[in-house]
Amino acid sequence: MKTAVSCALAVFVLVIGTVFWIRSGDKDVLVFQAESVQFNRDIRPIFSETCFNCHGPDAHSREADLRLDIAEGAYAALQGGGGVAIAPGDLDGSEAWARITSDDLDAVMPPPDSHFTLTDAQKDTIRRWIEAGAPYQDHWAFETPVKGPLPEVENADWARSPIDRFVLARLEAEGLSPSEEADRRTLIRRLSFDLTGLPPSLEEVRAFVADDRPDAYERLVDRLLASPRYGERMALAWLDQARYADTNGYSRDGLRTMWIWRDWVIQAYNEDKPFDVFIREQIAGDLLPGATPDQIVATGFSRNHMITAEGGTIPEENLTNYVVDRVKTTSEAFLGLTMACAQCHDHKYDPISQEDYFRMFAYFNTLGDKGIAGAGGINAEPTILARTPLNHDDIDRVKENLDTLIEKRDQKAERLLQSWEAKERERLAARGEGLTLYPLKPLSANTPNVPLTQVELRPDNSIFLKERSAKRGVAYSFAMALANGVDQDLTGLRIEFFPHADVYEGSLGYGEGPNKGAFGVTAVSISSGQVPVVDFDLNSEIPVVAATASYSHPDYPPSGVLDPRYPTVWSPLGRTKEPQHLSLTFAEPVDPQTTPFFSVMVNFQQIANPGHFKISVISGRDDGTSTPEVIQRILNTRSEDRSEGELAQIAAYHAEADSRLGRLNTEIAIHRNRLREMTEPYSTQVMDTAKDPRRTHVLHRGSYDQPGKEVGPGVPAFLPPLPEGASDDRLGLADWFTDPEHPLTSRVAVNRIWQLLFGTGFVATSADFGSQGEWPSHPELLDYLAVEFVESGWKVKDLIKRIVLSSTYRQSSAVRGAIADSDPDNRLLWRGPRHRLKAEFIRDAALKTSGLMNDWIGGSSVKPYQPRGIWREISHYGSVKDLTQVFIQDRGSNLYRRSLYTLWKRTSPPPSMMAFDAPNRELCVMSRETTNTPLQALTLLNDPQFVEAGRAFAERLLRDLPEATDRERLALAFEQVTSRPPVASELDELVEALKEQRDYFEKDVARADAILGVGESVRSENINAVEHAAYSVLANLLFNLSEAITKG
Amino acid sequence: MTRRTLFGNLARGLGGLALGSLLPSSLLRGNGDAGLGRLPHFAPKAKRIIYLFQSGGPSHIDLFDFKPEMRALHGVELPDSVRGGQRVTGMTARQDSYPFVAPFWEFKRCGQQGTWISDLLPYTQKVADEITILRGMNTEAINHDPAVTYINTGSQQMGHASLGSWLSYGLGSANQDLPAYMVLLSQGSGKNPGQPLFSRLWGNGYLPSNYQGVKLGSGADPVYFLQNPPGLDRAQRRQALDRLEALNRVHADEVGDPEIHARIDAYEMAYRMQTSVPELMDLKDEPASTFELYGEESRRPGSFAANCLLARRMAEKGVRFVQLFHRGWDQHKKLSAQLPKQCKDIDQASAALVMDLKRRGLLDETLVIWGGEFGRTAYSQGKLGDPVAGRDHHGRCFSIWMAGGGIKRGFDWGRTDEWGYNILEGGVHIRDLNATLLHCMGIDHERFTFKFRGLNQRLTGVEEARVVKEILA
Repeated sequence: MKTAVSCALAVFVLVIGTVFWIRSGDKDVLVFQAESVQFNRDIRPIFSETCFNCHGPDAHSREADLRLDIAEGAYAALQGGGGVAIAPGDLDGSEAWARITSDDLDAVMPPPDSHFTLTDAQKDTIRRWIEAGAPYQDHWAFETPVKGPLPEVENADWARSPIDRFVLARLEAEGLSPSEEADRRTLIRRLSFDLTGLPPSLEEVRAFVADDRPDAYERLVDRLLASPRYGERMALAWLDQARYADTNGYSRDGLRTMWIWRDWVIQAYNEDKPFDVFIREQIAGDLLPGATPDQIVATGFSRNHMITAEGGTIPEENLTNYVVDRVKTTSEAFLGLTMACAQCHDHKYDPISQEDYFRMFAYFNTLGDKGIAGAGGINAEPTILARTPLNHDDIDRVKENLDTLIEKRDQKAERLLQSWEAKERERLAARGEGLTLYPLKPLSANTPNVPLTQVELRPDNSIFLKERSAKRGVAYSFAMALANGVDQDLTGLRIEFFPHADVYEGSLGYGEGPNKGAFGVTAVSISSGQVPVVDFDLNSEIPVVAATASYSHPDYPPSGVLDPRYPTVWSPLGRTKEPQHLSLTFAEPVDPQTTPFFSVMVNFQQIANPGHFKISVISGRDDGTSTPEVIQRILNTRSEDRSEGELAQIAAYHAEADSRLGRLNTEIAIHRNRLREMTEPYSTQVMDTAKDPRRTHVLHRGSYDQPGKEVGPGVPAFLPPLPEGASDDRLGLADWFTDPEHPLTSRVAVNRIWQLLFGTGFVATSADFGSQGEWPSHPELLDYLAVEFVESGWKVKDLIKRIVLSSTYRQSSAVRGAIADSDPDNRLLWRGPRHRLKAEFIRDAALKTSGLMNDWIGGSSVKPYQPRGIWREISHYGSVKDLTQVFIQDRGSNLYRRSLYTLWKRTSPPPSMMAFDAPNRELCVMSRETTNTPLQALTLLNDPQFVEAGRAFAERLLRDLPEATDRERLALAFEQVTSRPPVASELDELVEALKEQRDYFEKDVARADAILGVGESVRSENINAVEHAAYSVLANLLFNLSEAITKG
Repeated sequence: MTRRTLFGNLARGLGGLALGSLLPSSLLRGNGDAGLGRLPHFAPKAKRIIYLFQSGGPSHIDLFDFKPEMRALHGVELPDSVRGGQRVTGMTARQDSYPFVAPFWEFKRCGQQGTWISDLLPYTQKVADEITILRGMNTEAINHDPAVTYINTGSQQMGHASLGSWLSYGLGSANQDLPAYMVLLSQGSGKNPGQPLFSRLWGNGYLPSNYQGVKLGSGADPVYFLQNPPGLDRAQRRQALDRLEALNRVHADEVGDPEIHARIDAYEMAYRMQTSVPELMDLKDEPASTFELYGEESRRPGSFAANCLLARRMAEKGVRFVQLFHRGWDQHKKLSAQLPKQCKDIDQASAALVMDLKRRGLLDETLVIWGGEFGRTAYSQGKLGDPVAGRDHHGRCFSIWMAGGGIKRGFDWGRTDEWGYNILEGGVHIRDLNATLLHCMGIDHERFTFKFRGLNQRLTGVEEARVVKEILA
């Protein structure tokens, strides 16, 4: 087998003709017009596209019992004695040729109703192939790759490595020359993005430019590969393929916890885990002898699929879908095979039978998972508790930082305590000033799933719920009217709860057991308008900033209502026999004239429902407080009369409650959480083997309810057999994947790495190496690298280093017009790679350049800025207990983590990422598109993240270069963003732009303050606002440069 | 620049979305040579589509699919022969009785052909002569996520391109200031919250991502990040963009990358959108008669009625595909209480849209579709007569209506049995519906393909799909 392929390759190398583009489907593809026609390169693509649908591997849809994908089929006698389809060397004896060239609409092939046609050039190729004896070849990608001889080249000096020999030989054959080497600034920028996903710092650029050691470039490569940022960068690409997300997907799309697995991927890349081990642990880590927790964590790869908790779905159907997704992801990511096509029928183009498909299915069908699972933020079984696989070497640093933060906070708290106490006493004393209640008249009610007869709207404007449970109808909405004649601005809303004889022993609520007589309020949403609307309307929401209550239970304080998620509630537990009230303060006073109607939605998602209550709006000051009674008492005790315990108690309370300590407290909480995540175990979804594993059947038409013949695990026959002694479980399958002889695994892996660096792989269809896949641009180089990769122990860093050290990679990416016309996609590699950056890199670059970036590695996902209401608008909020139904933005340094760590909600992914072509992570994606849209422009110009980054970057410039001229500062800024100094004309533009912006802000300083207010990071007040605002706009403009978002 | 480079740019860079003016007129139509033939394949009847998607599964039996003999069947156990071992959802699979529930409301014979429309839809009753009602719609899916994905993307599985993104890809935009495919969401008052929606329903799937639907919100930033940051006004933005463009041009000359020119143009369109979108959303110039027509609800931003009005405004501006998603049609429980509210949300405005388009002369070239992902069972979910009772999901038959752009006026298609459970004639699978929609837009669904993962993907999938010629005008 090997010899045959070597021969084929040798032939390939010797016979080089001219290259041109032909249309295949909707794409132009690069083909050789060679002297001799080759089946794999020239014929298979034509047949696959136009013939295999009816004359290919799928036995069920095969017409006339003729198959053209194998020689035995094509040469065999036709049904009904019509000769043979293909008679080697005999055009006239080949019925296929007669049909292809027929004018008879009933006879011509492909038939008109298939909508396929053959071009004259394609027909000519077929003619020459038949005349040359119609030799068949096995599909190239299904044969074990071998290293061919290095081709001879004329410009041998250019070639630094075997890679270059292959590339150059091809270019020379086309009469093309490679591009000159890119300058050092371009190279370090290219390498930094490619290997770490981040731009180089100014210092790094300048150091590299000045480094005259002969191995400066290689040193740079080594440094970047050793950076922990490398693992993050590589993980990002893997997450697309592994369809990693932080939510379950499907309709409810609740939270799951899988970041431990994501951390495993980062660690694996950073420690350069050999790729075969990388595969083995992800496929079968749990089955390895003496499996370590990390190896079990790795199997989360097969659990990243979507999981539904939708009521009414059928568990067996869901379980089938999950396995289908595992097979699809595994076969695409590791094998570059579209096995998924064979779920319902034999594959149309590749020799994968439906039975083959279900044998692969069987490997992934033995775990003990459930068909409906993952509700309420609880990971779907099987799961384990595991510590992060990351080797954190900065635990001590985080601890130190935490101690410093606490110390800082405590010191500051001590300084602030007195003034806070004074203010707090004042506030408490002023409670109720001018307080007036205006009862709202309930006009109508609405609630999901509970009959409205369970809700009574009473003439005295009160509301009575007969529904006891907070489970069925978790949210109640009311259309409410304000009486005429109210002329005071409305400052808030109050709900008064009354004990009632018909409610649990005359209590406020229906709680039972330990919750006797209690209820819980999860959230209150208020909107207003000119017409009565029963349902809360996100578009006219009245934001609420404070919540107080007549009573504050330590576990259920009124502040729980401010967080709309269900676990936090206010409850008067323990004080349920007397009236209680809950008051909400509006962010801004509301004019009663413009908003005579209110929609109030109250969620009782925990504990139980209340019975009798009344809703009013208020003017004046709320008379309630969230300050616990005990604190109120201490506040009213003179300092010298307070006990030690009381002093400690009030100090502790103040340290948390004083809003001036908010930032420090946020960071303390973030650091505490960070320490926990570095050291403590968390749940993560994994693979296991059920006690009584499910059996696998071939499913008729792929449908879960139409089982046919039972099958066991196995691999398709057209690929090499399982290695000797391989077990019939996922471990055996992993051994097969990583068998050095496997024709696909190493090729697919190498192709993917090439794609990562050059934008397109040798095989442009990186998820499809089958018959319908594209013929490789450099087949012999692909095979050469694949073999080297395996021989060198599957070392990814070595492979990457080999590639980036090549002259091919180091070429300038400038577009030379003449060649660009014939090969605009640079498939022949006549220039260096040039691409718009990935979505994540664009945001990360702005964070890094601005100095905002928090460079922590790993940990749970975070929620940086997103538009208001973004999840709630589409989610099941108020109806299910799943998390991630309502978006609550993070604060502090969590806003500035690398984008890899942004919480990924499948049904509503971050818009700033989606605008730049990120996939939604529902399914395995092998390569992203690169588009150019107005939404991208809007994101970079106006997304608070990029506006704030501009402001922070401006602050750095003004702070670090206080004496510099505008010109000097702007030159430096430009260099920081693009890694090169601007040319004079560019600098002129920037200086003029700055002047223009400064003029605008000088005319109206308030506008400068307004733009400087975007983003939550602290701004230095020492900087002149007009200067700062003008520079902010300029800094943001630099982030918008085409060059800033391009790896050139 | 060669023709191919242009095509390359078009597919990867600009798409049909932007910048038609920079391209030869032959390319204004979008991906002129996408798939296996030139687009449009034949003269289209409709230039654009407005799809009023009713998410959750409207009860066909209570709205459109009525027979007088149903009254006598009320409470009768649905015979096994009718149910025919049908797959039911986990919600009613364990019910021990399946009593037929006659429609809760009265029906009227409407229009010249006397078609039955529920009294819950008094305004729709009045436009009976403008619409075609399809009562034989069907789908295999019985749960929301797969069903709504199926009808919108042609597959129950994830990863496929939505109808709107197909059209945007194939036909491009007729407006340089607005996206070709816009999406508007609203929450119904029947069931709140309704079933969730997902961005995949207007996603691009395997198509390039510039063809995904642009979701319009109702707040200050109807398109994400549309507004300049506070303190930065439009003139100031203009000057900054001019400088940006100058800088980008310097670089483009240096490196010769055509993508930079595409980016410059994308920024210009972004700038235009900053005014074109707010203009679109600003209803100040609408006369009082408009709000009378669409109902007072249309004054409330984010309501279905307001979205219908916006859809008409988009149609006037040539937006290729407008899709409204109205949630809350999932009446498993409390159907008797929920359905009237849900109908009130949509009835007047849906009918108004048809009449409004008509009086503006736009109906002939605008295809309007009203419908959801499946229907609801003829039998009761829960005890018969219990106010909490409702109906479960039903995919074997359901009803939708269509109007305008190439569709017959005042026409009925499809008939179900007396139980409103099985189709007797005129069945239209959701694939057939999609094939028909494409047909009205001048596209042969079999020839409209995109190569992905080795397959020539198409909206109607691999199974047989047929254009419902019978309903075409």
